[in-house]
This record gives sequence, structure tokens and C-alpha cells, in this order.
Amino acid sequence: MYRNKKAGIIGIIITIIILIIIVIFSNNDKDVSIFENVASKLIMPVQNGLTYLKNKISGNSTFFTDINNLKAENEELKKKNSELEQSLRELENIKTQNETLKEYLNLTEKYGEYKTIPGYVINKDISNYSKTIVINIGKNDGVSENMTVIADQGLVGHVISVTDTTAKVQTIIDTASSVSCIMSTTNESIVCKGTLDEQSSLKAMYIPTDSNIIQGDSIETSGLGGIYPKGIHVGTVKRVTNTQNITDRSALIETAVDFDKLNTVLVITNQ
Amino acid sequence: MKKVIINVVLIITVFVIYFLQSNFFTWFNIAGIMPNLFVVFVLFVGLFTNKTMGTIYGIVVGLLWDLLLGMQVSVNAICLGIVGFSAAIFDKNFSKDSRATIMFMVLGSTIAFEVLSYIINYFIFTTNVEILNFIKILAIEVIYNLILVIILYPLMQKFGYYMENEYKGNKILTRYF
Repeated sequence: MYRNKKAGIIGIIITIIILIIIVIFSNNDKDVSIFENVASKLIMPVQNGLTYLKNKISGNSTFFTDINNLKAENEELKKKNSELEQSLRELENIKTQNETLKEYLNLTEKYGEYKTIPGYVINKDISNYSKTIVINIGKNDGVSENMTVIADQGLVGHVISVTDTTAKVQTIIDTASSVSCIMSTTNESIVCKGTLDEQSSLKAMYIPTDSNIIQGDSIETSGLGGIYPKGIHVGTVKRVTNTQNITDRSALIETAVDFDKLNTVLVITNQ
Repeated sequence: MKKVIINVVLIITVFVIYFLQSNFFTWFNIAGIMPNLFVVFVLFVGLFTNKTMGTIYGIVVGLLWDLLLGMQVSVNAICLGIVGFSAAIFDKNFSKDSRATIMFMVLGSTIAFEVLSYIINYFIFTTNVEILNFIKILAIEVIYNLILVIILYPLMQKFGYYMENEYKGNKILTRYF
């Protein structure tokens, strides 16, 4: 099979290592800071040493005064610091618990006017080009096609098919999705379409020529189209792309929902 | 009996790939892009068995994908069916002994599959045409598939020849040239 079996195995091992490195580096947003860290680790000890010497030579008198007192104070502070760290860890735990509970409570309180059914995301699309999700509630729970799906932060999508126990949801970031929206400041209509560009963004199209769309504008559903009810938060304007022809201009909308971290959803049953 | 074992192994492989695609590769990805092991799998079945098996496995795997996650039943089934069918044509014209040839086949099949499904989806859902973004995603996906083929090639070849002996028997010609 191989002219040299050993070379083949080494080749495979090297490929696996390269793959792991590519995956780690491609998913790390802070590539620069890795290099910064390495550089600072190499240079900072030298820098510290030089500063220490400079201070000593320039006759910094405070360095020699009452060194024993400082040592005692240092010990005391270290002790206090460890105690504070301990209580901080406890508080962090409580905070996380509190956030989870709040999320559940918020979801039902925020959309109190709608009758909703809570569900979890159990699967995501395996393709790089479409963005559908599967949730753990279906016909048996009262879910049917075209029902709106929301999360704590805003609109998620709508149900495209249901089984007895699960439902398939087309998210608003799917390239086949179009949502009729309004800009909350001017009440003008736009259409938000899913894009391949980024995971949590939409492309706003058909912006009225006389409209003054600005960065940070809040976008909500308009209620047109018959699927999504009016007034559900979709996202905010991240960037406006102006073209030579004003009718072609578009805007990038950052969705309120972080689809990477989406776990809990609500299905609106009475819209 | 051997054919039954082969098919059981292939079915298990489909579920393993499904599990990998929906769980493992959602975090072990390159810049958010996942590979497409289903294309590699269907190509592999078509190459080492025959036209019928390749096409059937392509359609069945595609249907499973469409039913579980797709928006329109048939898109992935048609595209993977074509990949399975064309694998048998590749087999007649190219040698499977070389890793480079297999890599070229994977490259061609992945591009053909994604372009075809993008075009079909464009006509069904009238999606925006984003050629630049599409090419960017496709390029990363192809590279990822190729890296995985380099890693999996010995296993694929070993099991592949086992399947080939069973399905083609004395009709195997390429290996005697």
C-alpha cells in the first residue's frame, strides 16, 4: 500500500497536528494578543530588571525605608486578597445561577402578551450555507407550522415543519429568510435577509431613498407578511453601505440574538 | 453474508458522520466552517462498489439529511445521488491507488455538490447571490475535506478494497495495469 509505511504514518500525524493548529488559530479572535503575550513574556522580565536598577541608582529613597513594615503589610494584604478571591468565586457562582433563572423569567415576562411554549435547541444544521435549528417541542406541545420563534433578546425565526416531538425552525440568519422590518426611530419599512457573510448578521435591503438610516438604529418586525407579529426586536444597525445608486444601498444588521449561544427559545402560539 | 456486514458498517458510518457533523465539527471547525464528510462518504461508496450502490447511498443519506435538518426535501438527496453516480465514472477513468487522485476527486465532488445545491436553493428560495462569500466558505470547506481525506485515506483504502473485492470480484481491472 505504501512505499514507506513509516513515512505514511508520520505524514498523517503531521497532518492531524496541522489541522488542530489551523482550527485553534482560525477560531481565536485575538491572534495578535497571543504574539503580544509571547513578546511581553520574553521582554518584560528584562524591562523590569532595568527599571529596578534605574530606580536603585537614581537614589529612590523610598525603596530602603522601613522594609520590615512593608513586608508585614504585604503579608496582611496577601491574606486579605485570598479571602476576597474566595468570596468573589462564591459570588460568581451565585451570579451565574441568578442569570440562568432570570433568563427563564425574562422570557415569559417580556413577551407576556403572547401565549408561548418554551423549548430547547437540540440540533443545528450541518451545512455551512443554511442555518436551521431543531427544537425539542412539536405537535404534541401545540406547535404548528409558521409559528414565530423568539428568544430573550429578540426574534429567532419561524417553524417550517413539525413532528410529534420536534420542530424545525428556519432562523432569520438563513440565506433563504426574509423578514419585513421597520426602523424604530423613523418607522420606515425595510427587508432584512440572511447572509453568508457573518453568523449573527442580516442584510437590510430596500431602504427608502429619503430615509435617514443611522448606525445603532433599532430594528423591529413590521408585522407584514403574515408570519411574524409586529414589534419583536430583531437587532440594531451595525454598518450602512452607501452605493453610487442610492436605491441599492444596504445596511448590516447585528441580530439581537447570538445564534452561536442560542439554547432556550419560546414559540408564540397566539399571534 | 459479507455484503450484509459491509452494509451494516456503512450504515453505522453514516450515523457516526451525522454525529460528528452535528456535534464535533460545530466547535472543531476552521473559522466557523465545517467539512462535509457526507460527500466524502458517498464518493467513497461509489468508487469502491458500483454505480447503483453509490447512487442509492447518496440518495438515502441526502434524504436523511433533508428530513432531519433541511428545508426542502430532495435538494441534498439529488446532489448526493449525483455524487454517488459520478464516483463510479471516476472509478472507470482514474486509479484509486494514488492519494493525490482521491484528493482531486474529493475536491471535484465537494465543489460540484455545493455549487449544485446552492444553485437549486437559489431557484427554490430566491436567496441572495453572494458569490464572494460562497467561494470563501467553499474554499475552506474543500481544504478541510482534503485534510480529513489525507488522514483517513489508509482506512478508506483498506475497507474500500475489501468492499471492491466483494462487489466487483473479477471485474476489477485497474489494479492489474
